[in-house]
Amino acid sequence: MPLEIPKDKWPGSVRTVTLGAAAAEGGTRTKTVTIGGQTAMPYLHFEASPPHPPAVAVEIKSRPPEDWSPLLLEAWGELVNDPAAWAKKAEEIGADLIVLALTLADRPEEAVNVVQSVLRATGVPLIVWGPGQAEKDNELLVPVAEAAKGERLVLGICEDKNYRTIVAAAMANGHLVQARTPMDVNLSKQLNILISDMGMPKDRIIMDPTTGALGYGIEYGYSVMERLRLAALQGDAMTQSPMIVTPGFEAWKTKEAKVGSGVPEAWGDWKERSVNWETITAITLLESGADIVVLRYPESVARVKQAIQELMTA
Amino acid sequence: MQHSVTFTYDDRQAQVTVPTNTLLSEAARLAGVEIGQPCGGQGRCGRCAIQVTGGNVRRRSTLRLSTADLEQGYALACQTVIEGDATIYVPPQEKIERRLTTDRVVAEVSVPADYDYLLCQTVRRLFVSLPPPSMDDQTDDWSRLQTALRLQHSIERLTCSLGVLRKIGPVLRQGEWQVTAVVEYTQPPDRSAARLIDLLPGRLDEYAPLWGCAVDIGTTTVTLWLVDLVTGMVHAQVAEYNGQIARGEDVISRIIYASRPGGGEELQQRVLETINGLLERACKRVKSPDAPLTPQQIVKVTIAGNSTMMHLLLGIPASSIRLSPFITVVNHLPPLTGREVGLAVHPEALVDCLPGVASYVGADITAGVLSSGLDNAENVMLFLDVGTNGETVLGNRDWLVTCACSAGPAFEGAGVVHGMRATSGAIEEVWINSETLEPTYRVIGGGKPKGLCGSGLISLLSEAFLTGILDKGGNFNLAAPTPRVREGAHGGEYVVAWGDETATGEDIVLTRVDVDNLLRAKAAIYAGFTVLAENVGIPLESVERVLVGGSFGKYINVEKAIQIGLLPDMEWSRFEFLGNTSVKGAYYALLDWRKRERITHIARRMTYIELSADNTFYEAFTSALFLPHTDLNKFPSVAEALSRTHKKSEEEAPYATRADTNLS
Amino acid sequence: MALTGIQIYKLLPQTNCKECGFPTCLAFAMKLAAKQVELSACPYVSEESKKQLAESSAPPIRLVTLKGVDVEAKAGNEICLYRHEKTFYHKPGLFIRVRASDPDLAKKVAAADAYKVNYVGIELTIDGFAVVADSDLATAIQTIRSISKRPLILIGDPAALQAGLAACRGETPLLYAADASNADPMAELAKSHPAALAVKAESLEALADLTQRIQAKGVQDMVLDLDGNTLGEWLVRSTQVRRLALKNFRPLGYPVLAFPCDAKDEAIAAAQAIAKYAGFIVLNEFKPELLYPLLVLRENIYTDPQKPIQVQPGLYEINQPKPDSPVLVTTNFSITYFSVANEVEGSGLPAWLVVTDAEGMSVLTAWAAGKFDAERIAKAVKTFNVASKVTRKRLVIPGHVAVLSGELEAELPDWEIRVGPREAVDLPAFMKQALN
Repeated sequence: MPLEIPKDKWPGSVRTVTLGAAAAEGGTRTKTVTIGGQTAMPYLHFEASPPHPPAVAVEIKSRPPEDWSPLLLEAWGELVNDPAAWAKKAEEIGADLIVLALTLADRPEEAVNVVQSVLRATGVPLIVWGPGQAEKDNELLVPVAEAAKGERLVLGICEDKNYRTIVAAAMANGHLVQARTPMDVNLSKQLNILISDMGMPKDRIIMDPTTGALGYGIEYGYSVMERLRLAALQGDAMTQSPMIVTPGFEAWKTKEAKVGSGVPEAWGDWKERSVNWETITAITLLESGADIVVLRYPESVARVKQAIQELMTA
Repeated sequence: MQHSVTFTYDDRQAQVTVPTNTLLSEAARLAGVEIGQPCGGQGRCGRCAIQVTGGNVRRRSTLRLSTADLEQGYALACQTVIEGDATIYVPPQEKIERRLTTDRVVAEVSVPADYDYLLCQTVRRLFVSLPPPSMDDQTDDWSRLQTALRLQHSIERLTCSLGVLRKIGPVLRQGEWQVTAVVEYTQPPDRSAARLIDLLPGRLDEYAPLWGCAVDIGTTTVTLWLVDLVTGMVHAQVAEYNGQIARGEDVISRIIYASRPGGGEELQQRVLETINGLLERACKRVKSPDAPLTPQQIVKVTIAGNSTMMHLLLGIPASSIRLSPFITVVNHLPPLTGREVGLAVHPEALVDCLPGVASYVGADITAGVLSSGLDNAENVMLFLDVGTNGETVLGNRDWLVTCACSAGPAFEGAGVVHGMRATSGAIEEVWINSETLEPTYRVIGGGKPKGLCGSGLISLLSEAFLTGILDKGGNFNLAAPTPRVREGAHGGEYVVAWGDETATGEDIVLTRVDVDNLLRAKAAIYAGFTVLAENVGIPLESVERVLVGGSFGKYINVEKAIQIGLLPDMEWSRFEFLGNTSVKGAYYALLDWRKRERITHIARRMTYIELSADNTFYEAFTSALFLPHTDLNKFPSVAEALSRTHKKSEEEAPYATRADTNLS
Repeated sequence: MALTGIQIYKLLPQTNCKECGFPTCLAFAMKLAAKQVELSACPYVSEESKKQLAESSAPPIRLVTLKGVDVEAKAGNEICLYRHEKTFYHKPGLFIRVRASDPDLAKKVAAADAYKVNYVGIELTIDGFAVVADSDLATAIQTIRSISKRPLILIGDPAALQAGLAACRGETPLLYAADASNADPMAELAKSHPAALAVKAESLEALADLTQRIQAKGVQDMVLDLDGNTLGEWLVRSTQVRRLALKNFRPLGYPVLAFPCDAKDEAIAAAQAIAKYAGFIVLNEFKPELLYPLLVLRENIYTDPQKPIQVQPGLYEINQPKPDSPVLVTTNFSITYFSVANEVEGSGLPAWLVVTDAEGMSVLTAWAAGKFDAERIAKAVKTFNVASKVTRKRLVIPGHVAVLSGELEAELPDWEIRVGPREAVDLPAFMKQALN
């Protein structure tokens, strides 16, 4: 029997956003990354194939991480002491983007130096996160934004209580911003409105709707992302930014991934479980609309990249 | 080219000569004529409307002026330029305000046109003439009275309390078997069943006042109207804080307090004292040529109030109201007497407590629905009670749904640093000049300001938002070029009045925490009615009228209430402000048994929707927790106002006016 | 087309008789619209209305129940494409694939059958076994039945399955699979036992034809094998089937069976199957390190999204607190938790945060409803063993519930109870100034 497959025809689309700038555009990147542009829900090729694959970012830190799982430290080894080398390695194993997380201990000039050394060591676009405290974020990100003018970095993380300074620095220096809100459709939209009300071009905003890890609220992040994406396709301009999420950070702070001993036997092998935890968190979020997933473990990067390739072909 | 402009105001005239294209407002200033420009001459507020009685002018903008206004020659002084000689009439400010379509004055109360004491009233005074007893007729007094009432007034079944029985013997003899019976028809319209409330010697003038009162027991305020049941006229309206406030500001605190040992009795006593005090006060207001009126002469009391207040008044345990699944002990109360309830009225007086629907939708709302007329409406209407509990009713004569949400007391001036009730000294309206960010405000009573009442807070929030002092998230823009925006103890704040202008000597400010409280209150109310409408599948646009109850003050500016996202964005003509709908409903029920039955019917058919059952309310709430709303498409008029103010500030820099004078 | 509450109300008697258990006909109508009650609860509804209402309320996806020995696995009866629209109802069953020929069959089944893992107080297990009939099926089933009562999926040709079915009388296994070549004998088997039947075809068109053919033979309980090769292909098919079913296209209104066991990355394919509409999922082998995350994902995706967003009650550490850091208390409503945690985190000040179980309500709502009182706070402090983590027993309660401080002092006599600010935004200042 001939079947008529019901297809959704959406009036809206996700905004196309390019991260990183090559020499011709005033930056130094050898590769830029373009995301967004979807006109259908994730990977529904029978309606419209996504014009760009989602990007996989690897998170590194400006100083050796103090609270990371031993499995992560073991996987990266000595590299954690050298952000530039670490970033280079991440690029080699397939990272489309690097996330460089600055720390509270960094002074502004150190932050500028580490950003520049990572930029020199890699060709992929860079996302720079402040340490997450309003004053310190502003103190570090403003000089970073100026020093890397024209690179189309993504600066983060803007939150509703602290977005003005980061947005202003990004606007003045040709960068993008990551706008984070705590797992709520309305809050995402509201922060987007506040940032665009400042005059930030909409194609330089990436939404971070926040997620929980598998077992720790992933379902909320999952549905918030689905709803944001549906709203974007329905034509709501304030939800049309591409979405970035951090399954690596979320998964690796769970007890399941972080801890190897003193846990129930039913949890199974530590390493395999941990990598499954990060990978499953990432894949579930990709299926609900993530455009960038930020990961931490090398093997997860490979598995997620492989899955993306499969998802991109129908 | 020079033109002569003549202004007429307050029976005086002033004349000035100005060049072509001079703004009328500028000409007025040069002529020494004061025209208020609260919005700073930006054509936003419509308060500088004047009448051009002759000559040539050109109106750049006619915002806020109706076709009828234009036909009468109205123009906005700040938006109109002179192109020839002209004569201008400057109307008094009150006239302008009355004319403005944004402001809706609360409707006055009047005796219902269909009120007829003989047809509608259940408490009646009946003259009875009894045959005196004799050795041949040794019938007892009570039977004798029953028989007389049956023969003369068709009352087949008469009942009374022991208290009344004790007095009938002496009264019958004192009146020499000519007496006046005060009776209550217990099953109207059936007149064959009655209860004897009182028996008085002799024949009383049937049309002399017979006293009743309508009471609204609010969580914050108790309101009482003293009514002559014969004419239906309200002789006194009095209000007082609910004495229970000392034991908690909201219903939850009261319920918790009541569950302590002795707590319930104390709260009951406190509210009784409040009501009894109001009864005294109301009676004193009645100028009586003979003996002064006393509360004991009141023979009928109708009471509205939320379910918690009703339980506490009657000493019924209220703890189940608070806890899931939120159950009242009783929604429909039997008729009670003054003695049972403990009111200072006639001990046998009928005390009629109106019925509620659910724990958080009480008799104040059923009475409110009655007085709003929503239950008789053909098309769908929305009734909002903008108070601490934020109840909403949607429906028409076929169906009614209702919900309640906790809005908090911000619009009653509580929970806001410089908030106050809408009484003398409250700032009730604020305009902010979008160039200078200087405010202009109006104070109830005209004196120095003491604080901000609900309507003042609404207009201040709206103005701060439109002028960019607040962003859409309610954050203060600390970079705003004015010393009035500053860092306070709780983040940003805006100084509405400097200490030297205020009654207290302290700066009156709007703080970040106030903004948050106001946003929450307005978001809860907005979310309440949107979720309700969504639940029953009625688009808000199809709501014909929005009836708003609550005690903001004398009036509320619809436009401002829309701009902050408290009310839905509809034509202003669709809104109606009804004031205290609860006491009004109680008043109607006091007068007319048919209206009383209507309230019972309303309570029985109203469908209560529990908003806490799922998270759709929370979703709607967070999306409304923004100025005016996360979805600006729902507020097209506000989007337009925003683009207008922004465009304005980019274009020509209009002449600066320091509009920091008091409007009143 | 689903009817709204008001539309349904118009079909009801409108007498508000309360016999359905709801206070008004409209309340009942709205529950009907939300599919939370059955129409049969109304004793007075007219036949005409019944007919109209039945149209709009028939489940678009057939509920298929597999039965083992007193153990069931159900799939179907779903009503939405996105879980936020309502919720996903029947968690997909996870089946472990075993082979009849496997000499270690008993051992493998025993290990998988005994598997239990605790997730937030819920005990999670596998749902059954998929038995490949690569040798005598009846014997294999007898072996399994000596160990496990869980439902079975039987994989083999009609002859092998017929022999196997004899070994599971009284059960409803799922037979795999009917295709164009064997649809008739498979349908016969499924009908006579009776058992549920998996149906397999290369395209959705062929699949729809096949289910109709089989249904005509009298088999009602079917399950679809979509046969997608890549993640992308399977996702497209699964979405198309769900969409068609929700549009009341009956030939595809059945649960879906997924075989991540044959995918390149089993974990990823299984995760996709869980999120994207599978009803039964077959895994390659029993591996706790894979099973545990999948079982958790299934719990998460099938959580009712209409419930308020909650965080796990517990003791949270913010900015590496030390034994003398203050202990803050709040509720487990996610937004409340986030606003408190974010403010404190942003301030850089170390603190312990006790998140109490207030059933996902915010501070004031929970207090109002009696879910955040002195007793509950004290219980949380004791349950999470907070006293063992701190040297200075200082508890900061939200300013909105200042009234609880007296009772809390009584409940926690050796603690110093401090009343914090009403708003989270004021916490950093309070912690700097008042807590030293």
